[in-house]
Order: sequence, then structure tokens, then C-alpha cells
Amino acid sequence: MGNGINGRKVGFAAIVAMVLFCIFSVGSFVPITRATKAYKKVGCKIELDRGVLPAENPQNVVVKVTLDAPAPPSRMERPPVNIAIVLDRSGSMSGQKLEKAKQAAIEALRRLGQKDMFSVIVYDHNVKTIVPAQSARNVEWIESRIRGIGPGGNTALFGGVSQGASEVRKNLSNKYVHRIILLSDGLANVGPSSPEDLGRLGAALIKESISVTTIGVGTDYNEDLMARLSQNSDGNTYFVESSRDLPKIFAAELGDVLNVVAKKVSVIIQCPNGVEPVRIIGRDGRINGGTVALSLNQLYGGQEKYVLVEVRVPAGKNGEDTKVAMAEVTYVNPFTRKKEISKGHVNASFSRDPATVEKSANIGVKRDVQLNKKALAEEEAIRFSDDGKAGQAVDALLNSAQQLKDFGTKYKDPEILEKARELEDEADALKTEGMTKKKRKELRTKSYQMKNQQKKY
Amino acid sequence: MKKRSILFYWLLIFFPALIISISAFQLLSHEQERINRMAVASAEDRARTIGETLQITVEAVEDELLSSLREIPERDLENTLLGWEQSNPLIRNVFIWDRHSGLKYPASGLASTSEERQFIIRFDGLFSGRISWPLTGSYRRDILPAPGQPTLTGPAAAEKKASGLLQDLREFKTGRQELVQIAKGKNIRLDKSITKTEFSETGGWIPWFAENKLYILGWVKTRESGPVYGVELELVTLLSRLITRFPSASSEGFVYALRDDAGQLLHQSGTAPIDAGAVPDISISLAPHLPHWEIVVYGSDKKGLVRSEKGFLVLAGLLLMIFMAAIIIGGSLLTWQAHRNMKDALQKTSFVSNVSHELKTPLTSIRMYAELLFEGRIKDPDKKKTYLQVIVSESQRLTRLVNNVLDFSRLEQGRKTYHPQKIDLNEFLMEVVDSHRLRIKEAGMTIDTHFLGEKIFVNADRDAIEQVFINLIDNSIKYAGPGIEVVVSVNKNGKDCEIRIEDRGPGVPEADRHKIFEKFHRVDDTLTSKQQGSGLGLSIARKISRDLGGNLVYESRDGGGSCFIVRLPYL
Repeated sequence: MGNGINGRKVGFAAIVAMVLFCIFSVGSFVPITRATKAYKKVGCKIELDRGVLPAENPQNVVVKVTLDAPAPPSRMERPPVNIAIVLDRSGSMSGQKLEKAKQAAIEALRRLGQKDMFSVIVYDHNVKTIVPAQSARNVEWIESRIRGIGPGGNTALFGGVSQGASEVRKNLSNKYVHRIILLSDGLANVGPSSPEDLGRLGAALIKESISVTTIGVGTDYNEDLMARLSQNSDGNTYFVESSRDLPKIFAAELGDVLNVVAKKVSVIIQCPNGVEPVRIIGRDGRINGGTVALSLNQLYGGQEKYVLVEVRVPAGKNGEDTKVAMAEVTYVNPFTRKKEISKGHVNASFSRDPATVEKSANIGVKRDVQLNKKALAEEEAIRFSDDGKAGQAVDALLNSAQQLKDFGTKYKDPEILEKARELEDEADALKTEGMTKKKRKELRTKSYQMKNQQKKY
Repeated sequence: MKKRSILFYWLLIFFPALIISISAFQLLSHEQERINRMAVASAEDRARTIGETLQITVEAVEDELLSSLREIPERDLENTLLGWEQSNPLIRNVFIWDRHSGLKYPASGLASTSEERQFIIRFDGLFSGRISWPLTGSYRRDILPAPGQPTLTGPAAAEKKASGLLQDLREFKTGRQELVQIAKGKNIRLDKSITKTEFSETGGWIPWFAENKLYILGWVKTRESGPVYGVELELVTLLSRLITRFPSASSEGFVYALRDDAGQLLHQSGTAPIDAGAVPDISISLAPHLPHWEIVVYGSDKKGLVRSEKGFLVLAGLLLMIFMAAIIIGGSLLTWQAHRNMKDALQKTSFVSNVSHELKTPLTSIRMYAELLFEGRIKDPDKKKTYLQVIVSESQRLTRLVNNVLDFSRLEQGRKTYHPQKIDLNEFLMEVVDSHRLRIKEAGMTIDTHFLGEKIFVNADRDAIEQVFINLIDNSIKYAGPGIEVVVSVNKNGKDCEIRIEDRGPGVPEADRHKIFEKFHRVDDTLTSKQQGSGLGLSIARKISRDLGGNLVYESRDGGGSCFIVRLPYL
């Protein structure tokens, strides 16, 4: 008897599943114009690290503007991508590294669609376009070209990226998401090779909406250069010690690129009522009077990026309510190719009661501030270490660890406590082993990933 | 004497060939030098052309930027410049400066980005008013060109002259056009109604060195009391765009590179990697547009242009060596062939003399005994019988001799036909030995046989193989001499059976062993030789053995004497 009921239930479930499948199958043929109505805008959430401020005293508070990127509409065709893969084939890449890089490039190619554009550039002391920009549907030919790549001599990284940009420019229309993926394992020794120069190249490329994602392999590449290039062009940066992880990294990066839901993102924060912006935490931007301006390149579906700005709020009376900041996020929707705007604002009230003030603490915002401070401490440690001040580098890490520990204990946050322990371990390692190449790369990459809210792979 | 003649002939070929080679090599070296000089001149022309094209490009970009700057309406100067900076990759920074109030934009402090703060520090000399506009040493243009018509002055004229060399620089020009398009200021609001006659315009470009690096600042002042404003050129963009269009390496093996003021290679085209300390062979300055930047050329071996261009000499030298080797080897072969022919001719002359002598000796005996019998002077029946025996025996010898000569002729011409049949070797050898036993006995020798108990069959031509054994037995009779025993034995060795004919004669001297099977060869080749013979017996025997699928070899016998081994495959 029981079996009979179960059997009927299974049958019913199967029919429902089929009906749903049919509905969704038909739905996928719904014209684009209808589906666009289903788009969600990029959310603009604005918060303070505490909602109630102590009355009658001017003080600093942190404003967090969160850009909440919605998941891309599942029934819509994603915007096509225009990718240039720039591979280092210098002598040091020969063997397993180059083979894995080639394999990763081929796997990336296979994930692209017919409307996507794909190009491959290799460089040693010369730069060579192995696959000129073309539709990613020519899989077999492109694969054969990638498989034919062999190792060469020096490292003309600047030339490689320039050539990659040149290939991307062949299809520089607004409908594409433009991306250069640079892979290198060595120091650039032909062409401009300082982090500053490559950073400037990144800053120039972002003006054309081209982002550069950098992947450093092994422990001999220049992480400052790679991070600066990514940072200024708003790309991602990765450090892989072993070439085995390359396919995974390429897949993660492609996952981001294929999932872009907002382009040319800019954030303007206005502070009224004598509120004065003091500094931007973790990002580069411009503070002009009461206006803070920042720009980001792209947002990926389901990703949450944020901007932290410290502002000075003038003294307020008990019970008074004041507007602290208004934010306006402007971006281009890649599906409609139209400019869209999201807005938000945040108020704060004043109270004489310390308990009320304490109770109004926004732990999420405070937590992000702590994590960004940790990233800045890691960068500071690198700077000290480069200047030969190993003791100060250790102190910078330990101070940050202590702050995290205090925060974690106060708000009972096990994850922050774990981060504090990690930082203490790093400080110990720095004390005993010094700043090894691997450690420096890890710190630089982690710091960048934190500040940029790069997804973990 | 013979050897000396050969050496003389060979030297007659060698020395002229050597003289020709040395002369040719000298001529080729001169030709190589000429080619090197041409290659250097060509590389220099090419480098100059690249340099001039680069300068024209920078000049065109600068002119377009200045034209666009001039058209920015003054009332909206700051916003327009900022918008331009944010959208134009050729612009690194923008500024507005006033003689009275100093730097209006970028503002110092938090209102500027870190890049802008560095920019202010970098050009502090200008912005603080310590250095006046325009600067001495800057290349300024008091009269600005009309928009869209870049000035092509000095270098442009040179470009026209070098148009032949510029054919492969088309890509470069395309890059220039792209850059000029970017410089046109499409994304900013311009006031096209402004014409240059309305204001007393000044402006120009200032190459600026800070921390040993080049920066280029473009400025405009549209009216006497107005602000000075302008842009800092983003050299990285300029470089990034230009190097992708940089002419590819030429086939001469030179490396062309762009080098900055700090001596760092910014880009290179050419296969060879250049060491950091390598000294260029040619350098062309890019001043005034890119002061202290230069186009440099390296030889492919990084040590010098002359050495880099040795391809022609190497190839020509190789061909010369092949030519000389062909002459010497060809001459040597001809000399060797002549020597061989001479030797053959001598052997044939000797052969004819020997055969004539061989034929004459039995004929003389036959004639003498036949005449005695014919005249009837011999009455004794025993003597008559003896004489008749001699006649018969000498006739047989004559027959064998003639048969050998005939066989040799057939074998040489490949006309000898064989009729193979299954032969019982023991029985066959016994018959041959028996038929020659009398002759051996008359020669004062004995013959013995050692056969295997089993029967051995071979597939061979009966007459031909008999000829082999007759020749070998004759050989023993001739050279072993009276009182010697000849032993014929048969053994199996793998797939072959071996028939050994051994004697205890003097054997064959070591030096002659490898020659005894050569045709016409006799160990003692003189007419007065003690032994008669044509020098064909062993040669014929070996040839027949090989034709039947076997072989004939000589081994010295243990304890002295000769041993001839006939190998034949058995069934």
C-alpha cells in the first residue's frame, strides 16, 4: 500500500518536473525585449559602522557603499567577451609550466561561445601573435596553434600586453567585455619593466575599457608589477606556486568574465551638512570638498564590491538626526548597453547614551574595515621589509593581528580570530625566515584580492 | 717510377685547384666586405627611417592634442580637461595654471589622486613660477596648425626621400593614424567656432626630465591674460601603441630596438636577445620630440655588424670547398682508373705470352714424337707405346688449357650456362680422383681421400664442378712437387659442405694470398718461371664456386702447405 502511494507521488513529481521543464524551455525562446524587463539593477546599499553617534562631539565614522551585483538573467544571452591571452614563453617557462599554460588556454577557449572573440599572444624577447583576434568558434585551428607554442628567450612583458591590447582593440565595440589574461613566471627584462610603468599601462587600458588579469606562476615573477597592472586596469590578480593550478585559475577567471553584469562603474559619494571625507580605505580615488569619486571597471554576477570612506561628522545634539552621505552608482548595463544609475543615502542620529551608541554598531562594516586594515598592514610589512626594516615589518603584522584579535574577541567572530592567528603565524615566519619570495607574493596577492574584493577560486 | 708518375699527375691537378681556390676565396672576402658595407648602410637607412617615422608620429599626435586643447571653451575648462583625462589614454594628467593664482587644477591634498600629487611634484618648477612659460630649449609652436592638418616639416621631407625604404613601414603609419584619431579629442566638448585669429595663441611641448626619466608636457595659452593649461602626454600609451606597429626584423639579421634616456631597451624587433651591456652598432637620436631616446641597431652576434653578415662568405666558402674536393677527387679517380687500366694491359700481355708458351710446350712434344713415329725410325714397340702415351697426355694437357681459356672467356662475358643436377659428392669426388690418380702418380705424388660415412648430395653442374677440382689438383701438382701427398676430404659446416684439397707443398706466401684468386695473377709471373700456367685456374675455380652458390677460399695448412676449401650448400 505504502509503495503504491510512493509510486503515485513519484509519478506526480515527474509530471510536474516535465511541465516545469517545458515552461522553461519555451521561456528560453522568449524574445530579448521581453526578458530585459526581468533585469535587476545593481544595488547600492550605504551603511555606517554605527547608526548612533555620541552627541556633542565631532567624530570619524566609516561609510560603506556596497555595490550588490545581481545574478545575470538566466534566460538571456550573456554579453560576448573579447579575450586576449598573453603567455610568457621565456626559457624559464619551458616544460611543465608552458604545457599547463597551454592546456589552460585551450580549456578557456572551449568554454567560449561563437560570438566571443579570442586571441593568443606569446612573448619572449619578441612578441608574436599566435592567434589573431577571431571568433572562438574556430576551435580546432586555434587549438593546433596553441599546441605549437614552444619556449623561447627573454621576457618582453610590456610588448606582450601591448600586443594583447592591440588584438582586443580590433573589436573594441561596446557590446563586448574586454579582457587580457597575462601569464608570466619571470621578471620583465625587455621593454618598460617597473611596476610604475606597467601600472600606467593598466591605467591607460582601462580608459578603453580593457582590463588586465595577471597570473604569476612560481616565485620568480615581479608581484608588484603584476598587482599594479591589475589594480590600475581593474582586473584580477592570482599567484600560483605550482603550474598544476593553472587550469583552475583560468576557469575561475573566465567564470568572472562570462558573468559581467555591469561595466564602467563609477561611484560618487556626496557628504552634506558639513560632513567632511577624510580618506578612502583600500582604494584610490579623489576627494574634492564633500565629494568622493571612485571608478571600478566591471561587476560580476552575484558579486558584492564595496567602497569604504572615512568621514568626519560634526558635533550633533542629542536625539538629532543627520544625513551623513549620499551615493550614486553609475554603470553601463552590458545586456541593454544603456547607462543605469542606482542611488542610496545614509543617516545617523546622535545620543548621549554610550550603551545606545555601542548597540548601534554595524559589525559587518567594522569587520570589512578590519580586513582592509589587515590588507594595508600586509602592504606596509612588504614596504618595511623592502627597506630592510624587518623588525618594523613584523610589528606591523603583529599590531594588525592584535587589532583583529581585539575585534574578534569583542564581537565573538571566530573567522576574524582565525585571520588574527594567520597573521601572527605570518609575523613569526617573517621573524625566523625573513621575507621569502613566496611569502612576499602571497602577501601582495592576498592584500590586492582583499582590497579589490576579488572572488576566491 | 709508376708511383711517381701518379703523384706527378695528381699534383698537376691539385696545385692549380688550390691556387684557383685561394684566389676565389680572396675575391669572395672582398665581395663579403662590400656586402657588409651595404648591409650596414642599409641598416642605418632603415633605422633612420624608423626614427623619422616615430618622430612624425609623435609630432602629429602632439599637433592634434594642441589643436584640441585650443578649442576647449575657457568657461568649461576644468570639467572638459578632467573628462578628457579620464577618457583619453594618451593623456596622463591635465593642468590649469594661472600666473597670479598658481596651479588651479589639479588641487593639492586629498582632492587629487596619488598620480596627480606626483605630477604636481614633478613639474613643481613650472607650477611654482620658478621657470617661466615657454621654456628655453622646448620646441614650441607659436602658430598652431589648423585642426586635422598635422604639420609635417623637417622629418616629413626626409620621409618622402626615403619612400622606397618606407614600404615596409605601412603598419607604422596605420598606428600613427590611430593615435592621431585618439588625439583629436572626440570625447570632449570643443568650440569649433574658435579660430586662431581671435587670440594671440602660444603653446608648445616641453620635454621634462625628472628622476632621470622623460615626461612631455603640452601647454596652450589662448590669450595674453588667460590661464596656461595643457596635458601631460602618456608616453606609455604612445609606446604601447607604437611597438605593436614597430617594423619587424629585416632578413639581414640585425636587431632594431628603441632605447630610452636611461639606456633601457623599450622594444626590439629581431630574433637575438640583446644583453644589457651590449653596445649598439648604430644609434639614431629621436630628439627633439623624444630627447635622449634613440633607435639602435645591433648585429645579430651582438659583437659587430661585420661578423654578423658572414652568411655569404660561409656559403661561398662551402661551395668553393665542394668545388675543390670535386676536382681533387675526380682527378684522383681518373689517375687511379688509368693506373688500373695500365695494370690490366700488362697482365693481359703477360697472359698472352704465358698462354702461347703453354700451348707451345705440349705442341713441341707432340710434334717431336709424332715426327719420330712418322719417320718409322722407332722400332721398339715399348718405346712406340711410350711415345704415343706422351702424345696423348700432352694433347689432354692442351685440351685442359684451351678449356680453361674458353671457360674464362665465357665467365667474363657472363655467357657460361650451368646445368645443375643432384650429385652424390662422395661418388663424384672418387670418380674425379680416380681419373686423375695416374697423372698424380706420374707427377711423383700420391692422393688420399677422407670422406664422411654418410652420403652428401649437392645441386651443381657436374662439368663445372669437375673443372674446379681439376684446376685445384693441377695447382697442387704444379706447386707441391714430387713426393708430396694430396689429401681430399669432405666435412659438413653448418648449411655448407666443405671439400678440402690439402698438400704439404711450399704453400702461398703471405703477401700473395689475397691475390691468388685474381685473374692473370701468378706468384712468379716471368716467362722463365719454373712452373707453367696461365694465371686463370684459381680465378675460374672461385668464380664457378660462387656461381654455384658456394665459395672457394685459401687457408694455410697447419704444419705447412696449402689448403683450398670449396664450400657448397648441400641438400
